[in-house]
Amino acid sequence: MSYSTFNRKHFDSTKEPMFFGENVNVARYDQQKHPIFEKLIEKQLSFFWRPEEVDLSNDRKDFQRLEEHEQHIFLSNLKYQTLLDSVQGRSPNVAFLPIVSLPELETWIETWSFSETIHSRSYTHIIRNIVNDPSKIFDDIVTNDEITKRADSVSKYYDRLIEMVNIYNTMGMGTFHIPGKGDVEVSMPKLKKALYLTIASVNVLEAIRFYVSFACSFAFAERTLMEGNAKIIKLIARDEALHLTGTQHMLNLMASGRDDPEMAVIAAQCQEEVRNIFIEAAEQEKEWATYLFKDGSMIGLNAQILGQYVEYITNIRMQAVGLETCFNTKHNPIPWINAWLVSDNVQVAPQEAEISSYLVGQTDNQLDDSDFDDFDL
Amino acid sequence: MTSTSKVSTVANKDAVHRVLLGKKQILVTEEEPLLVQLERAGIHVEYQCREGYCSSCSIKLLWGNVSYPFEPLAWVQSGYLLACCAIVKSDIEIAFFD
Ligand code: FES
Ligand SMILES: [Fe+2]
Ligand SMILES: [Fe+2]
Repeated sequence: MSYSTFNRKHFDSTKEPMFFGENVNVARYDQQKHPIFEKLIEKQLSFFWRPEEVDLSNDRKDFQRLEEHEQHIFLSNLKYQTLLDSVQGRSPNVAFLPIVSLPELETWIETWSFSETIHSRSYTHIIRNIVNDPSKIFDDIVTNDEITKRADSVSKYYDRLIEMVNIYNTMGMGTFHIPGKGDVEVSMPKLKKALYLTIASVNVLEAIRFYVSFACSFAFAERTLMEGNAKIIKLIARDEALHLTGTQHMLNLMASGRDDPEMAVIAAQCQEEVRNIFIEAAEQEKEWATYLFKDGSMIGLNAQILGQYVEYITNIRMQAVGLETCFNTKHNPIPWINAWLVSDNVQVAPQEAEISSYLVGQTDNQLDDSDFDDFDL
Repeated sequence: MTSTSKVSTVANKDAVHRVLLGKKQILVTEEEPLLVQLERAGIHVEYQCREGYCSSCSIKLLWGNVSYPFEPLAWVQSGYLLACCAIVKSDIEIAFFD
């Protein structure tokens, strides 16, 4: 089967699965199989922002005053985020658009990818503002061992899926000898498995991998340093929260069988593999924290605390897709981060605005562990 | 146009419900979501968006009823609730990770 940009068949797209059904023809949203994706589109559009609106002139001064090991932490995180958003700004389009079958999901994928390009542009905005030679930083992304190690894990599932779909679209089903790759078997179950694992790895990318650098950015801002950067990271974190909900919906819809009964079987079969994707990513992020702090920690944050935070957040993300949690860390070692992560939506109702200011006031005393003594977390 | 015609979950202003969490018991009303009321009781609950779209505030609902004034964008697993937007409608028992 080959891809068509305008499928000429007549069919009811509400009867199609999310992926690997008919190619979408009319971009229509009057009837939807999964209306959640249009709601995500609307929300994402309401979040629209431009990096240039955030003033970074103080960040430049702050950056020059940071200690060397703190500059290392800051720049390394920026490089890693640049890598992640480079992948995310293109891959959902390249990997999922050729196989998507619902108009509302197709448009969500495009909207989602577009918002990632805003993130990428914001890194250039930050880097231009804090250093004289941005290319030194960007060039290092493809040569730095610690970053390239991670590039493989974040791109390999996408790449495998894209390769299989390319073969499927040109050759159809079967086993094909691909120079440099050996025999590649293409069948519907294999394609669906590759898709399911890819979505799991994207969920991990957006729901876990970003959070180490979020924590560092906000730890600087807690000391009133790099506050323009923190403002941008807040906007990025708000978008990522929506993206991770998108992939959670895809994974949960697939596993539930409500979308495509065959996919439910595949989801059940690869549960262990998906668990390992989460666990492996958590271990890599803990390693990353060690690399960040190799020359010294920062106030309020060190590799151990950050490692516990990774475990905690991984538990939350696993639970959200119906997996058993796998780490013993049962509470957030840096609860102050939530007040930074919370969306400052300008359109909040007065009552909600009160709630968030109330919280900012109380975050400091949330650290008291005695609060937890009376009950089991 | 009447403003109440489409409200499916009218808050009972006087209702007070018990929330059991381990050995603790917290009293809550139907006027605000569970999350703020737990926080006021000194209990840390994970959150991010506080608007129902990130699923970070997902908590196990062991028994009892909650309702949502608007349908959250986040997926709500069966047996769980989203604390940031759930209104408690009966006595309930909740739990964090096992
Ligand atoms: S805090 Fe985001 S869904 Fe509740
Ligand atoms: Fe992003
Ligand atoms: Fe994203």
